[in-house]
Amino acid sequence: MNKTRRLLFQIGAVLILAAIAFCMMVIGRGHTVYFDNKILEYDDETYEPPYKVTVYVGGEQVAKLNAKERGMATTIGQDFEMELKIMEVKGGDETRETYQIKLPRTLDGIVVNLPGYLAGLPEEAWMSEFVPIVTESSEEEEVPGGDEFEMEDLGDF
Amino acid sequence: MKNESFGKKILNFIGNNSVPILFVLICVICIPISGFSASYLINEIVTRMGRNIFLILCLLIPIMAGMGLNFGMTLGAMAAELALILVSDWQIWGIPGIVLAMILSIPFSIVLGTFCGKILNMAKGREMITSYIISFFMNGIYQLIVLYMMGPIIPIKHSNVKLPRGYGIRNSVDLIHMRQYLDNLIAVRIGGVKIPVLTFLIIGVLCLFIIWFRKTKLGQDMRAVGQDMNVARDAGINVERTRIISIVMSTVLAGFGMVIYLQNMGNIATYSSHSQIGMFCIAALLVGGASVDRASIGNVFLGVILFHTMFIVAPKAGAMITGDSMIGEYFRVFISYGVITLSLILYETKKRKSKSLVGQQLAQAQKDEEEKA
Amino acid sequence: MNETLADRNNFTVRDRLKSMVRNFGLPRLIIAGFLLLLFIAAPFVGADFWTQISNTINRFSWNAVMVLAMVPMIHSGCGLNFGLPLGIISGLLGATLSIELGFTGPVSFVMAVAIATPFALILGAGYGWLLNKIKGGEMMIATYVGFSSVSFMCMMWLLLPYHSPTMVWGLSGKGLRTTISLEGFYDKVLANILQINIGNLSIPTGTLLFFALLAWLMWAFLHTKTGTAMTAVGSNPTFARAAGVNVDKMRMLSVVMSTWLAAIGILVYEQGFGFIQLYMAPFYMALPAVSAILIGGASVNKASIGHVILGTFLFQGIVTMTPTVMNNAIHMDMSEVIRVVASQGMILYALTRKTEVTK
Repeated sequence: MNKTRRLLFQIGAVLILAAIAFCMMVIGRGHTVYFDNKILEYDDETYEPPYKVTVYVGGEQVAKLNAKERGMATTIGQDFEMELKIMEVKGGDETRETYQIKLPRTLDGIVVNLPGYLAGLPEEAWMSEFVPIVTESSEEEEVPGGDEFEMEDLGDF
Repeated sequence: MKNESFGKKILNFIGNNSVPILFVLICVICIPISGFSASYLINEIVTRMGRNIFLILCLLIPIMAGMGLNFGMTLGAMAAELALILVSDWQIWGIPGIVLAMILSIPFSIVLGTFCGKILNMAKGREMITSYIISFFMNGIYQLIVLYMMGPIIPIKHSNVKLPRGYGIRNSVDLIHMRQYLDNLIAVRIGGVKIPVLTFLIIGVLCLFIIWFRKTKLGQDMRAVGQDMNVARDAGINVERTRIISIVMSTVLAGFGMVIYLQNMGNIATYSSHSQIGMFCIAALLVGGASVDRASIGNVFLGVILFHTMFIVAPKAGAMITGDSMIGEYFRVFISYGVITLSLILYETKKRKSKSLVGQQLAQAQKDEEEKA
Repeated sequence: MNETLADRNNFTVRDRLKSMVRNFGLPRLIIAGFLLLLFIAAPFVGADFWTQISNTINRFSWNAVMVLAMVPMIHSGCGLNFGLPLGIISGLLGATLSIELGFTGPVSFVMAVAIATPFALILGAGYGWLLNKIKGGEMMIATYVGFSSVSFMCMMWLLLPYHSPTMVWGLSGKGLRTTISLEGFYDKVLANILQINIGNLSIPTGTLLFFALLAWLMWAFLHTKTGTAMTAVGSNPTFARAAGVNVDKMRMLSVVMSTWLAAIGILVYEQGFGFIQLYMAPFYMALPAVSAILIGGASVNKASIGHVILGTFLFQGIVTMTPTVMNNAIHMDMSEVIRVVASQGMILYALTRKTEVTK
C-alpha cells in the first residue's frame, strides 16, 4: 500500500515535471525577427517601401529603417507584437499602429518584409526563413587536448 | 574568577572560529589597501552571494549524512552544463529556458549522483578523496560526451554551439538570451546596489527546505547515519540507501545551483566551468566556520561574504603591495587551498583526539569495574 | 576417462584464469589488453613500430622515478602519496638554484640533486610530522598539502630574488618564467650516457640505469631490518608497535624518502623533457604517478618495484600510443579522454577495494 502510493507519487512528480518542461519548451522558444524595409515583388506587382519605418517592440525602439534597410529584434514565444511608426514620404505625417504576427515555431530566424506585410499579402509572400551565412573561420578552436594533464586556468569566480 | 572564565570563553571562541577570524583580519587589512569604493564592494558581494549561495548550500546535506565535503558536487555542475548546452541549442530563451535547464538537469544529476553514491558506499571512510577522484573521472566522461558524442549522436544544430569541425561543443557557449534573466526579473536597486530579489527568494526557499528536511524522518535518518553507521544500522535504518539519497539530493541541488550560477555569468566555459566550482564552494563554506562534520546555513552566508570579499580585494591589494597583479591572483588561490587544508587537518586531529578520549574513558570505566569487583 | 580428465584440465585452467583475473583486477587487464591492441594496430595504421617503442621507453625513463616515489609511503601504510607536488617543489628549487648559482652542463644536474636534497628532507620531515598527526586521513590531506604548496610557490617564483637572465622574464628582469629551457644545462645529461641508436629505435640507457640504481637501492632497503620494519608498520601497526618498532618514526622516514624521490624524479623528468616547468605545472603531477603504480598492480597498501616498472610502462605506453594510433585510425584525437578515464578509473578502482588489513 505504502509502496504503491509512493510509486504513484513519484510517477506523478515525474509527469508534472515533464509537463512543465514541455510548457517551457513551447513558451520559451526564442526567435530572431528581421524586418526588411525593401521592395517586394509578388504576383507581378511591386510593393514599394515607405520612406522610413521605426519599429518598437515591447515599448522599446529596436530599429529605425530607411528604405532598403534591415533591422532585427529578438522575442520569446510565438506571439510577436510590434508597433510600427511609418513615414510614407520624407517629411510627411507619421502613422503609428500595433501589429501582431504569429511566428512559426520551427524557425530560428524569420524575415518579415514590411511593405508586403503592410499591404496585407498572404503570409508566404512576406515571411521567409533567415539562413545565416556560415562564415568558415580558419582559426581552429582550442579544445582540451595536448600531452599533459589539463591545467586549470585561474579564472575569475 | 568571573573574569578568568570570561577570558577562557574568549580564547575558546577564538580557537573554535580561527578560520573566520583569520579571514576577517585579511579582509580588514586588504580592503583599504585595494582602494575599492564601498558601493562597488557591496555590489560585487551581493552579486556573488546570489550567484554562489545556492551551490554552496548543496554541500550541507552530505555533511549531515557524515560523508564529509562532497567534492562530487562537480557532477551536478556537469549535469547543469549538459542541460544548458541542449537548451541553448534548442533556442529556448529567458526564464522558460532557465526552468527547462533545471528540469532537464535532474535526470542527469540523479544518474551521476547514484553512481557517485554507490562508489562512495564501496569506499567508506575515505569518501572525500574518492569523491574527489570521481569528479576527475566524470570529467573524462563529460568530455567524451561533449567533445565527441554531441553532434553525431546527440543532435546539435546551431553553429554557435557546435565546433566548426562538425562535432563537439565550442569552448564557450553563449547564454546571452538567458543572461541574468532570473536576477533581473524582480530586481531592486538600493543606492546603486542591485539586489536580485528573486534569486534570493529561491535561496530562501532552499534554506527553509533544508531546515524542514532536517526534521523529517529521512533527515533524522541521515543524521543518525552521520553519527554512527553501525548504530544506525542496528536501529533498522538502511544505511547504504540513505547515503546514496543524500548524495543524489546534493547533486540535484548542485545542478540547480549551477544553472543559477551560469545564468548570472552569461556564458558556459564548456570545459572548465565545473572544474573549479567544487573547490571554491568548499573553501567558501569552510571560511564561514564550518568543519567537515558540522555545517550550518549561517556558515554558508558568512563564508560567502568573507571568502568573496577576499577574492575581490586580493588581486588589487596584492598589486598595490608588490606591484604585480599576479601575486594577488596566486594569493587568493593559495588561500582557498590553504583554508581547505587547514580545516581538513583540524578535523582529523579533532577526530583522533576524541577517539583517544573515548578510549581513555573506556579504559577508566574498565578499571573502575575491576576495582569494584 | 580421457574426456573427464580433459574436462578437469579445462576446469582447472579456467579456474586458474578466473583467479588470475581476480588477482590481477579487471581494469588492469582491460588496460593491458588495450595497450597490446594499440601495439598490434600501430603498424596497420601507418605508425612506425620502433618509433612508438622508443617514445614509450623514453617517457618511461622520464617518469619512472616519480612512480618509484610512491613505494615507501604505500609500504608504511600512509597510502597513495597525493602530496607528490611537495617533493616536486623541492626538486624545482634545486633545479632553479643550481642554474641561478651559475652551474652548467652535467655539473648543474649533480648540483640540482645536491641542493634539492636538503629541501626535500626538511619539507618531507614537516610533511611526515603532519601525516603522523592525522593518521587515517592521509590521502585527502596529502592532496591538499600538495595543492597549497604549489599555489604558495606560485607566489614565491615571482617574489624570490632570482636574477639569472636565462630564467627570469626578459622584460621586467624579475620573476621566473613559466618554462625554462635546459639547453646548456642538464638537458638529456642522463639520456645521452651510453645512448643506443639503431634505426628508429633509440634507448636512453643512462636514464634507465639511473632509475635501475634507485630501484635497486629501494629494493635493497626494503630488505634491510629497517625496511621490513617499515612494511610491518604498514601491514599491521599494532603488531609492529608490540614488536618494539617506533611506528611514527617509520612513517616519517617513509614520507621523507618519498619526498626526496619525488624531488629527484622531477629532475630526471626535466632532463628528459628539456624544460623546467614552474607555477601550476606540478599541480596534477601526482595523479599520473598514482595511477601508474596502481595500473602496475599495486593497491592502496601494497606495492613493489615490479609494480612500478610494469605500471609506468603500461601508463606511458598508453599516453604515447593513443594519440598517434587513434589519430591515424579514426581521425579523432580521443587520447585525452581515454587517458583521463583509464587513469582516474584505475585510482577509483583501487580506492573502492577493501584493504586486506584493517587497522
